[in-house]
Formats: sequence, structure tokens, C-alpha cells
Amino acid sequence: MSTQPRPSTQPRPSELPAPSPRETPSGPEGGVPRHGSRTRRRRRRGAERRPRFALAVTALFFALLYLPVGVVVLFSFNSQKSLTVLDGVSLRWYTALLHDEVLLDSLGMSLRVSLVAMAGSLVLGVALALGLVRSRSRLGSFAGLIMLVPLITPEIVTGVAAMLLFKGLGITLSTTTVMLAEITFSISYVTVILRSRIASLNPEVEEAAMDLGATRGQALRLVTLPALLPSILASAVLIFALVFDDFVLAYFTTGVDPQPLSVRIYSAIRFGVQPTINAVGTLMLAGSIGLILLALAIPRLFGRKGGLDLLSGK
Amino acid sequence: MATRNNRTGTAVRPPDDPAEPAPPQDRTRPGATPGTRARKRQPRLWTWLLLPGTLWMTGFLVVSLLLVATLALGTTDPLGNPRFGLNFANLTALADPAYSTVLLRSLGYALITCLICLAVAYPVAYAIALCGGRFKNLLIAAIVVPFFANYLVRMYGWSVVLSDDGPLLKALRAIGLADDGTKILQTGVGVIAGLVYGFVVFMIIPLYAAMERMDTSLIEAGRDLYGGPLRTFLFVTVPATRQGAAAGCVLVFLPAMGDFVSAQLMGGPDQIMIGNLIQDKFFQGQNWPLGSALTMLLMAVLFLGMLGYLRRTRKDEAEAAR
Repeated sequence: MSTQPRPSTQPRPSELPAPSPRETPSGPEGGVPRHGSRTRRRRRRGAERRPRFALAVTALFFALLYLPVGVVVLFSFNSQKSLTVLDGVSLRWYTALLHDEVLLDSLGMSLRVSLVAMAGSLVLGVALALGLVRSRSRLGSFAGLIMLVPLITPEIVTGVAAMLLFKGLGITLSTTTVMLAEITFSISYVTVILRSRIASLNPEVEEAAMDLGATRGQALRLVTLPALLPSILASAVLIFALVFDDFVLAYFTTGVDPQPLSVRIYSAIRFGVQPTINAVGTLMLAGSIGLILLALAIPRLFGRKGGLDLLSGK
Repeated sequence: MATRNNRTGTAVRPPDDPAEPAPPQDRTRPGATPGTRARKRQPRLWTWLLLPGTLWMTGFLVVSLLLVATLALGTTDPLGNPRFGLNFANLTALADPAYSTVLLRSLGYALITCLICLAVAYPVAYAIALCGGRFKNLLIAAIVVPFFANYLVRMYGWSVVLSDDGPLLKALRAIGLADDGTKILQTGVGVIAGLVYGFVVFMIIPLYAAMERMDTSLIEAGRDLYGGPLRTFLFVTVPATRQGAAAGCVLVFLPAMGDFVSAQLMGGPDQIMIGNLIQDKFFQGQNWPLGSALTMLLMAVLFLGMLGYLRRTRKDEAEAAR
């Protein structure tokens, strides 16, 4: 937001010495000011004006954004069962959690699924991203198209499709089917994140390595992959968080027992809430938020570019 | 691979001796034309790298979606087991007014959700992009981070907030905007509120990116030409960020159209959406072919929407190129 010198002969309103905004007679904004009057409403550069309405909406938005999250966290420490009346602080719901075998099983399953999906989608996704950026074969354009499918269809469609595929092949739904479905879904995310990063790498570095006697495979392993490491780690953390929290796909592809944590939460909130859900929810919030902050911080830890760019690829 | 000194792979001279190093004028290559680089043979490695991911995605995604399409034309036997076949009973069943009502309701909810998200996201993106200053990234992160928290937990928290004696209605009653009979849950308003809360971030991010790219002196110009804040916004800011808004609408519309959690938690039986129908056919109703037909219907509707969006963006790009 630097003020650029403008080739203008007239003094712009912002360049006129103006009284402080407090003393200005407040007229309706945008009303035609009397020309030449020194006491007109002071206007700073248009872009830096205080858009009061927008700021008010933003404040309200942030309040409503965090209110539901706050409610869950607050009531997880409630000493009573009520979901409307706060009544003393206690950790009873957290201790109740520790003794809830079913929930602990679900937690273990969710962790396993997230780890496997993370590993599987990274291996496939990194290879796919490298191929997409560098191969000019027709296979590449096809791969680029189907990679977009999970991103432009609602999850319920991919969920139904995955479930029918497993059932059609006569496979009983289980932890494994959830893992397979989640890997499929996560490949797209890994590929999207890494694609832009790979495209921004300088290919001449790799060529230099090959000039110095490295084979193509060695150049890839010793030059390219280390350069991609921050992005790979960031997408790994992101995938872990997304898969751990994923509900729809898991709901359609899970067996009866064990069920992923999010599916358990879904059944719990459909049939009357036990306060333990607040405790589980709070822990999950803390976990995902920690992971996301970690994913955002990774490039800084490495002190170089890469990682997650929230505003790219969208 | 004894010598790797063919820097560009354009060693078109027939080498007299394979071990002879390339002459030094290789760097300047007087006979090289600009096109020689592109003629370089692509290393096969990259294509090989494409294979595993492509095969995986084809097997799990393309095949499974085709399966949904074929099952949509199937039937169920008396036991409720799906049978593949070729009949259009499901497609005619979709014409049933009960289904078309649900489809229209889903479309309506998703559209209203888009509009509300626009109304919320524009001021928020505007405020952050133009007044955020040093805190821009922090504020955007503060919006994105709760979105990454578990969707169900967030929705459940939201339903507590909107409940009949929850904080929101209490506050509204206190300022006289609601009376004792006002409900949000179990109504369409509740479902839409859920959808907005779930997906508004998808609108804010592209809009914010568009605002960041926008030349703010345009706003100044609008103000200098005595446009009021509202008119400047409508005739300067909105057109300049149109593409971001369109992208946001697609990103919100897609998940909103397929969502079944919001209608389940915030709505009553009269507010079910197409996602709830699909889920019901697969889990309770045990009519998979009909469920598949509904899924295809949802995909078809979204596909048409995407086509419209792509045509718009093409037109925009064509105009920009002119």
C-alpha cells in the first residue's frame, strides 16, 4: 500500500492539511463536498478508509465463527450433564473418555487410517505430481483430469461410489476399505499442493547434477526431493488432519466395528448428545488446530519456500 | 553412459568416438535452432512416475463412478439386493414429485447459501484485504483454522448455539428480535445456517485473493469521482472481483448441494435434502439402484452448474484478452 506519486496537478484531498477526523462535521459519506472547503471530511487514500460497515460485519462474523467452537470447549469442562447451564468446572467428561473402550477403539482406528492414508497418498501423489509437471505424454493430461474429480464432486458421490465398488467386488467393509478410499481422496490434495511447487523449481539445478555425473534417478533423489521436502511434510500433516476429521467418506466405507471417531461422533449427536462428545470434540479441535498450525509453520522451520500456500491453487 | 556432457541432449553430430568429450563450442552451438530443445526426447522416467497414481485413481475412482452409473439402471430383487440390468424404472421414479421437491429444495438451499456466503464474505474479505495491514495473514489463518477442525464437532457446536434456548436466540429475544416461539432448529433457516457455517470459508478465500490482486486505486478513483461507498463497492469492487466470487460460489455450491449433515442436525423431516435421500436409500431403505440414480441426478445437476461456470470464465478470459 505505498503511495505512488501521481502525475496530477491538483492537490489531492488527502494531501490537503486536514483537521483530525474527530473534529470534522460528519456528513453523509460520499455526499458531495463543497469544493475548496478546508473543513470537509478528511479522506485518506481511498483504499485505507475505514469501511465501517465491512468492519462491523467482520467483527460479527468472527464472533459467530468462534462461538460454536467455544461452546463445545466450554461445556466439555462442565461439571453437570446439561448443555445449556454451566455449573462448575470439572474434568469428569475427560476421565469418562478414558474409560470409554468403544471411543478409544475408534480413536485408534482413526489414527491408523490417517497414518496409512498419509503414507499411501504421499507416495502416489508425489510421483503423480512429478509426472504431471514434467511428462508431456497423453497419459499426463488424462491423469490431470481424473485427479480433479474428487475436488469437484461432493464427497457423498465419491463415498457412494467407493462403497459400491467394494460391495461389488464382494469385499466386506472394514478398516482397510476406509484406508483405500481415503488414500484415493487424498492423492488429489497432495498432487495439487506439490504440483505448483514442482513447477516453480529450477530444472537447471537438476541438469547441473546430471552434468556432474548423477543419473536421473540420483538427481531426483538427491536434488529434487530435498527441495520439495517442506511441501511434502506440510501436505503430509495436512492430509493427516483432513483424513482424521473426514466423515462422509469414512461413513460410507467403514464396517460396523470398529468405526472411525467421526462416525462415532455422528451417531452420538444424532441420538442425543452425551457430554463426553464435548470432550472428544475439544481434543479433536486441539489436535487439528495444532496440526494445521504445524503445517503452516513448516516452511518457516526450514527457512525456505514451499509448504502450504493457502492462497494458491484455489 | 560414460559421457554425460551432452548438456542439452542436442548432440546431433555423429560422434567419431563415443568417449571423445564434446568440443567446447558446444555451449554456443552455432548451428542450434531455438526448436532443438523441445525436440529433446522426453525421459521415460516421468511417464513411469505417472503410472501408479493414474492406475490407482482409475481403478478406485473412474471405475467406481461408472459402477454408480450402471447400477442406476439396475433394479432390486425381492430381497432388496441390487441387480444389474437395463431398465429405466429408477429414472422414471426420479420424476416422482416427492423427489423433485427434494431436488428443488436442495437447489434452493444451496443457492441461498451461496448468496448469504457472498453477503458475508464480501465485507469480511474487503475489510481484511484493505484494512488488515500487518495482521492480514493472521486474520485469514484465524478464519481457516477453525474450518479445519472436525466438521461434525463444528456443526454440533453450531446446533447448540442455534438451539431454542441457546445463546443466539437468547440474545435475539433480549433485543426484541425474536419471541418465545421463534425457532431456528428444525426449520429451513436452521439448515441454511448450518450450510453457511460449514462452507463460508470457501467463499472468503477466493474473494480475499481477488481483493488482494485488485488495484485499490480503482476504489480511490470511484471515491474521487464522488461515488458513495455503496456505489463504489457495487460498480468498482464487485466487477473487479467477479472471478473470485464465481470461484467461491462453485466451491460453496458443490459441497452444500451434497451435504446431509446440516439437514440432519438442523432441519426436521420437512427439510431433507438430496444428500439425505441418497444416504437413506443406501443405509435404511436398502434400495441401492435408486440411491445410485439419485447420486447420478446430483452429479448431473452439478455438472450443468460447472459447465455454466466454465462458460462464464471462458467469456471473461476472452474479454480480458481483447
